[in-house]
Amino acid sequence: MFPYYLDRAWRSLRRDVGLTLLMVVAIGVGVGASMTTLTVLHVLSADPIPEASHQLYAVQLDPRPALGMDPGEEPSDQLTRTDAEALVRAARGKRQAMMSGGSAAIEPQTAGLAPFRVDARWTSADFFPMFRVPFVAGGPWSAADDAANARVVVITRALAEKLFGQIDVVGRSIRVETGDLRIVGVLDSWSVNPHFYDLHQGTYGQSEQLFAPFSTSRELKFGVDGSLDCWENADDPHGLGAPCVWVQFWVELEDAAAADAYRDFLVGYSDDQRKAGRYQRPPNVRLRDVPDWLDVQKVVPSDARLQTWVALGFLFVCLINTVGLLLTKFLRHGAEIGVRRAVGASKRSIFAQLLVEAGLVGVAGGALGLGLAYLGLWAVRQQPTDYAELAHLDLPMLFATIALAVVSSLCAGLLPAWRGCQLTPAIQLKSH
Amino acid sequence: MDFLPILSTLRRHRTAATLVVLEIALTCAIVSNAVFLIRERLARMDTPSGVVEEELVRVRLIGIGQTADAAALTAQDLVALRAIPGVKSVASTNQVPFGNSGWNSSVSSIPDDVSGSTTASLYMGTQDLLETWGVRLIAGRDFTPEEYVDADAKDAKVSSAIVTRALAERLFPGQSPLGRTLYLGSDPETIVGVIDELARPNDRNGPESAAYSMVLPLSISYTTGGTYLIRVEPGRGGEVLAAVDATLTKVAANRIFTHLESLTEVRDSYFRKDRSMAYLLIGVSLALLIITALGIVGLASFWVQQRTRQIGIRRALGASRGDILRYFLLENFILATMGIVVGMGLAYALNHWLMDAYAVPRLPATVLPIGAVALWLLGQLAVLAPALRAARISPAIATRSV
Amino acid sequence: MLTMKNVTKVFRTEMVETHALRELTLEVKSGEFVAVTGPSGSGKTTFLNIAGLLDDFTGGEYRLDGVEVRQLGDRARSKLRNEKIGFVFQSFNLIPDLNLFDNVDVPLRYRGFTRGERRQRIERALERVGLASRIRHFPAELSGGQQQRVAIARAIAGDPKLLLADEPTGNLDSQMAREVMQLLEELNAGGTVVVIVTHDPEIAARAQRNVHIVDGVASHLDRGPALVSPALRTA
Repeated sequence: MFPYYLDRAWRSLRRDVGLTLLMVVAIGVGVGASMTTLTVLHVLSADPIPEASHQLYAVQLDPRPALGMDPGEEPSDQLTRTDAEALVRAARGKRQAMMSGGSAAIEPQTAGLAPFRVDARWTSADFFPMFRVPFVAGGPWSAADDAANARVVVITRALAEKLFGQIDVVGRSIRVETGDLRIVGVLDSWSVNPHFYDLHQGTYGQSEQLFAPFSTSRELKFGVDGSLDCWENADDPHGLGAPCVWVQFWVELEDAAAADAYRDFLVGYSDDQRKAGRYQRPPNVRLRDVPDWLDVQKVVPSDARLQTWVALGFLFVCLINTVGLLLTKFLRHGAEIGVRRAVGASKRSIFAQLLVEAGLVGVAGGALGLGLAYLGLWAVRQQPTDYAELAHLDLPMLFATIALAVVSSLCAGLLPAWRGCQLTPAIQLKSH
Repeated sequence: MDFLPILSTLRRHRTAATLVVLEIALTCAIVSNAVFLIRERLARMDTPSGVVEEELVRVRLIGIGQTADAAALTAQDLVALRAIPGVKSVASTNQVPFGNSGWNSSVSSIPDDVSGSTTASLYMGTQDLLETWGVRLIAGRDFTPEEYVDADAKDAKVSSAIVTRALAERLFPGQSPLGRTLYLGSDPETIVGVIDELARPNDRNGPESAAYSMVLPLSISYTTGGTYLIRVEPGRGGEVLAAVDATLTKVAANRIFTHLESLTEVRDSYFRKDRSMAYLLIGVSLALLIITALGIVGLASFWVQQRTRQIGIRRALGASRGDILRYFLLENFILATMGIVVGMGLAYALNHWLMDAYAVPRLPATVLPIGAVALWLLGQLAVLAPALRAARISPAIATRSV
Repeated sequence: MLTMKNVTKVFRTEMVETHALRELTLEVKSGEFVAVTGPSGSGKTTFLNIAGLLDDFTGGEYRLDGVEVRQLGDRARSKLRNEKIGFVFQSFNLIPDLNLFDNVDVPLRYRGFTRGERRQRIERALERVGLASRIRHFPAELSGGQQQRVAIARAIAGDPKLLLADEPTGNLDSQMAREVMQLLEELNAGGTVVVIVTHDPEIAARAQRNVHIVDGVASHLDRGPALVSPALRTA
């Protein structure tokens, strides 16, 4: 029966080309707009590290002075250098890393290449295994290198190619600011979006290109980028013991029990610090895994959500419009339905046929919507926002587009098809 | 023509009428909120910076390695830049309005105020900063050369400040701020001048404090401030920017220059999210209005077709073409009015939700009449073609036997 | 009351020209009850459309109650139609969306009567046709004969001078048909001119005078006081 319905639906739609086009365009535009914004939202709220997002935790402590305390308030989202170094030393997690954003000038030895700056990350050895960073050559530096302020560096594949024209550069040296650093590893292409481990450096977009031990970066006084918050005047805010928070700290914990244990450890640590006179406030710690962390930090721009709501509202109006037009269309051909009913079609089969017609409109609308979503995402990519490059339609979203169009047009078809199949044969035949 | 028979007809076509009303209502709700949001964004984009943006260009620079005497080098740089043809004035500074990243401090009218309730943006720079900005001093005076202190010096402290009118009003409401003391933590500064307007580099501290800025007479070197601000003769910005790199490299090598751009470009990129949001909302609103209009055309055409005979009868019974035209216009007017009434309720509900979820301000009452008139016009325009077609139906249809 | 002189009506399409009326000449005087008969396709309906100001004519002259209608615009025609003519159609032509009150009200609205006067007239007209008790019912709830009586009520509510009836009994059984004819005769007795278009000889026989149209020409008369058909006199 289905091919017959399809054939009837196709003929019926061709009979009112204007009305059909209007419905297809309405659904297509609504679906296109919705899928464009939903794709952006989907990309922005994607899990940056799905294989470990529930094992990685951001650590927060509260080293601020008692003055101005507001009970229950959120502690700062970064640590002091003192606390971060202490937590790395304590090594209570499976892995842990302290880090800060930075930038460094590189003086290439290659002739004809002017000095340039790259975004960098000053961190500790566990950073690489903890965040599942892939290497194409060499590997991470060791904890011993951290302790020894070793002159070592890890660079990205892109930077290696820029500096040396090749990726097999382990063992060679580059001049960073005033120091010569030996390359121990080259990263394969790696970027995490959102840039969850340090949200002060822009949430989306490209990651840093150069990684060096935190200790080395302090010794050589490399530049630090990011947010710095001090509660007292400090001559060297980045120095050890300075009353300033500017270091991110992440820990990897196997399971919930380990997380609970670590949280207890943090409370104990805070308490010890207070007893020692370093902290003034009662323990106020947070330990959040990646999804929680992204949620609390409100990573997805509210504009992106707002745009999605606007687009969905638009789609809804388009659907109401389609309901009206389908109703119009089905009732306009009431006589035909009457004849069909008179010669023995059941309500059910009339209903099915009308729904097939609505579904056909949905498929056409979906195709149009897909085209418009591609166009919309292309337009998003032309915007100079940090997440522009990420706006691509992946396979699930592609199927979601078609499904959205067909399901919504079937929903739009329900009421009109029901009304259509309620037409009694007698009335339709009598008045025509 | 009267109301009641039309209402009675609409009651008999309840589903279709409800759909039209619903569509108009939703369009009304979405479009009035969108129009309001668009107005908000456009108003934000119009925020004055207080400086002569069209005459200003900036360059950010970073040195490689340690620099021996940054202050002296900065002075040489400024002299060299001033010598570029087309340059009127130059200053070394730490930030520019709408430049996104900037220095902030909590300020108070009392010392050691820990409430931190007011934060202001800290602008600092070399002597010609105010002249380079082209800001308007509305009270008091500019800094004297003696007041300037080298920012890189250990324990650099200044004792005077110039504040914006908004900040002065915030700290000393209803009083003359001149000669009063404000505190950055425990450091006192005497207010010597008030400027009309000077926008902060960003409004992350909230829109109400977006105009809280102050200037300190701290002569800042490029290694600390990182920005040279150049005022050029009108229209010569591009030419000057093209010469900056070579000029500064001649003074000293081993420096990297970035962000060579005019302040109008800085403003553009600062507000680009607002702009793209406004464009998106404008696009969606127009598309909604078009879709709604087409929906009305479709349904009205159907009704005209369905009622062809009825229209013929009315014509036979003495209705003129004008009567038929008016009938359909009035019918649409009634539907649109119902839609607008429901839609305004929805608009406020939607606005309420947006206020909760996205910190959008309350919908002003002025949106109501604008939205209503727009939708009435839209409805009347949309129904005009089907209504004209209806008016052309011949009364002779009444005698055609079926 | 109604005077047509050499009225012609030509339908033109790209291919053919059809002469629906050829020089029709006809006069109906005050107080008359005239039946217009003819085989189907003879031009009866065209005559009715022109007489009722529902359609334009191609040539000739037509005066309705002393007014030359040829030059009138849509507005004036609609007004004339509304004030002077009541219609009774074969298929009743009630508006299904409106109840009896509102159906009878339709021409009165266009007439511009006050609210009170309209109500009075509607009630009187429905009373006259014996349906006052069904005033809030919808047409679909009535029998064919009742619907036609509503149509007559609608036709007479504005006190027209001329009642044009198009096969008023065509869709009715004989009992109902008799009732309707009786109603029309009573109205005629009250001074309303009645012109009835029919192909039923029994109905035609009840009229004072018959005009027979064949191929667009009024060609025959058989009875009634005005024994000489104007159409024959010119022919």
